[in-house]
Amino acid sequence: MALKALDIYKLLPRKNCKECGDPTCLTFAMKLAGGKTDVDLCPYLDEGARAILGATTRPPIRIVKLGIGERSFAVGEEFVLYRHEKTFYHPPGIMFKIADTQTVDEIQAVTTRVLNESFSRVGADLRFSGIAIENASGSADTFALAVETVEKTADLPLVLMSKDPAALSAALTHCGTYRPLIHAATQENYEEFCTLAKHHGCPLVIKGNNIEKLAQLAKDCTTKEVQDLMLDLSPESLQAFIVRSTAIRQLSITRVAPDLGYPVFLDASVMEQQEAAIALGISKYASVIITHPLSQASAKAALTLRQNIYTDPQKPIQMNPGLYRVGTPGKDAPVLMTVNFSLTFFTLQGYLESSRVPCFMLIVDTEGLSVLTAVAAGKLSEMLVKESIKKFSVEDEVSHRTLIIPGYSSPLSGRIEEATGWKVLVGPRDAAEIGDFLNKEWKQ
Amino acid sequence: MGFDVQFGWSGTITEVLLGATKAEGGTRSHSYRIGNGKTLPFLENIPDSSAPLIALEICDNPKYWSPIVLAYCGDLVNDCGEWAKAADSVYGSDMVRLYLTSTRQRDFSDIASVGKTVDNVLSKTHLPLIIEGSNEPKIDSEVFLKCGEAGQGERLLLGTAEASRYRSIAAAAMAYNHSVIAQSPIDVNLAKQLNILLKEIGLSRDHIVIDPYTGSLGYGFEYSYSAMERIRFAALKGDADLAMPIISSAIDTLTVKEVRVAEPALQDDIAVQWEFTTGLSAAVAGAEIICVRHPRTIPLLKKAFLSLKSGKNAAGGQ
Ligand code: B12
Ligand code: SF4
Repeated sequence: MALKALDIYKLLPRKNCKECGDPTCLTFAMKLAGGKTDVDLCPYLDEGARAILGATTRPPIRIVKLGIGERSFAVGEEFVLYRHEKTFYHPPGIMFKIADTQTVDEIQAVTTRVLNESFSRVGADLRFSGIAIENASGSADTFALAVETVEKTADLPLVLMSKDPAALSAALTHCGTYRPLIHAATQENYEEFCTLAKHHGCPLVIKGNNIEKLAQLAKDCTTKEVQDLMLDLSPESLQAFIVRSTAIRQLSITRVAPDLGYPVFLDASVMEQQEAAIALGISKYASVIITHPLSQASAKAALTLRQNIYTDPQKPIQMNPGLYRVGTPGKDAPVLMTVNFSLTFFTLQGYLESSRVPCFMLIVDTEGLSVLTAVAAGKLSEMLVKESIKKFSVEDEVSHRTLIIPGYSSPLSGRIEEATGWKVLVGPRDAAEIGDFLNKEWKQ
Repeated sequence: MGFDVQFGWSGTITEVLLGATKAEGGTRSHSYRIGNGKTLPFLENIPDSSAPLIALEICDNPKYWSPIVLAYCGDLVNDCGEWAKAADSVYGSDMVRLYLTSTRQRDFSDIASVGKTVDNVLSKTHLPLIIEGSNEPKIDSEVFLKCGEAGQGERLLLGTAEASRYRSIAAAAMAYNHSVIAQSPIDVNLAKQLNILLKEIGLSRDHIVIDPYTGSLGYGFEYSYSAMERIRFAALKGDADLAMPIISSAIDTLTVKEVRVAEPALQDDIAVQWEFTTGLSAAVAGAEIICVRHPRTIPLLKKAFLSLKSGKNAAGGQ
């Protein structure tokens, strides 16, 4: 169904005027074919061409940006149903919800938490993405005040949740230029909501529990010139969510229903089982997930799942091989060998730091495989260790010749000794025991 | 109008029966049918299906079991019969998965005790049973035969067959009409190969449950999730050698760093959220038996699965 660059080129004005940002119509056509630019950037397209191109050249799921500045994020622009076919590109924003009926202190506390809380895993800082403010009071002034409180506390992406255009309008005077997401237009009120969204240049959520009607509503909004849309499927149950969200993903990536080609919005806080809804949202195509502030336990589990699902399963996250320092090791400091799988590196590094023994970590290139996996796959060998010692000039860094290897690589110890001429000390299997081990065994 | 959502699936997951009631020649209070799916999980409602099932994992020698579970379950852990009974009457699980950890001690030779343990557990709980035998090839044959014999008529699920050792367990399963867990390390092709090996020695497809190995959340789950999806996808595309139900057990969950180093007041909560998130996501990827070790995870999963099978308005209301 996708058009080839040459077919697209035939539909373009062929003025080569560069106004689209590309040097020629042909290069613009090539980018369109790859889903890398937007037809709307050419001001001279006639309506017929725009209609054909709009539906077939934009990414099957439109990219939508929330917020501005450092914490802003983009969602959408996904291409597959299964992450193993390619990967999932834009992790969902998980936003904590507050009500405008809460006290200023409470609102500030949640906002500050989202601003500062970060949970470090595998070298990445995992954070929640922003704040959703609900107009629970029904009053425009109260809503505006709550939004102002959040705004003054932190620069975070926002979702404004209200049925009342007047309340939204009042809130948008505080944050309208920061691309908050407006929630939510329905068949009844979409004209007013579109006016607001268009005026402030904000993305808009449209809401409904029937996907045919949602598609129609999306179309209606685009004729009102609001293109940055998201879909709230109003699921009555976890099954309703998974069925509709999967259908929308499939219909949009196959371009059967281009009017559904927008990211999915999920308000988990109104679902009976919030934590379950979050987990499903993460694996099943939600792009913005709203939740009440989570307990520590749920927060870590949700962020870890998001990190897992949005990691490309074809290529493990890797470290550059090399000699790394923990603290300021001297010439007599221990050298610990391990693999270049990030998870392994950071796990070991964490325990080494808490052991307070300055040391060197020799990271060898196992193509990102963990110790046990590398041993099983034959990727960790004495030759690799020998070459790594040489390549990273380990012999210049320390005066001794003792290498500590992971417990799981013990079958290699003899061969490493032979190949390198170093003495090998087999460490514990579990890195948690490394502190004890170094304190007891490291005397060279 | 109405959109026509096409996935191009044609295969069906093979049905596997677990447990046998009196009428079926066993002594269980329930028996379960899993399999029969024709779509990705939860996109359809399969009549008479009990999946996903929740199995509480217990063992007959708690020496190496997680201290978190030992602390939570208290004295129960010293009698696997009582522990199994609680799985049913107190914790509300659908199945019990008994690990014969006693057989994993060095130089274990008391084969007779295996039969007694299985008898004890079968008499104390009415739930269908999964039994994990030895992991020492030298005693496999005797241990599995003993399990199979003790559970005759009960349609047990026996674990675990691997590419390097599957004959003893398959023989025991075939002799006593039980099913087998076939485990391979996170790889769709290895899963298929093992199923073919099992088929070649005579085990029928409807007696196999695939265990693609579940790395726990943050420690390999990113691979396991896709391995399960790929197996399910291959099955739906018509590959009969992969069209078996999947079992998921993230056995490392209670020892991952986030759980192990959690402050004591939060440790149970984190353990439960870790198991719950992994178990629910595995079910979404295709697993039909979800194993857990912390009893508090069970009601959470149960409730989520109910909502995932609610049927009501799934396709879209007016
Ligand atoms: C995720 C995973 C994979 C992923 C790859 C992940 C990766 N980047 O390595 C995939 C799916 C690709 C995979 C593939 C395979 N895998 Co794999 N995999 C796993 C799994 C579930 C988790 C690995 C992991 O992330 N561990 C976490 C990291 C942090 O562990 P680690 O690196 O070992 O580090 C720990 C310790 O070693 C120690 N440590 C680390 N460095 C150092 C250094 C010193 C000095 C010290 C003292 C300690 C220390 O600290 C860490 C924390 O305690 C394991 C099961 C498991 N529990 O390990 C199986 C496992 C390792 N895989 C296994 C196998 C067999 C394979 C394959 C060979 C299968 C196959 N034939 O295709 C392939 C090989 C890869 C290939 N051919 O490309 C087996 C190994 C069996 C064995 N005992 O030999 C395992 C144990 C699963 C099983 N039970 O069957 N695997
Ligand atoms: S703006 Fe339109 S006419 Fe001008 S170069 Fe780009 S594609 Fe061609």
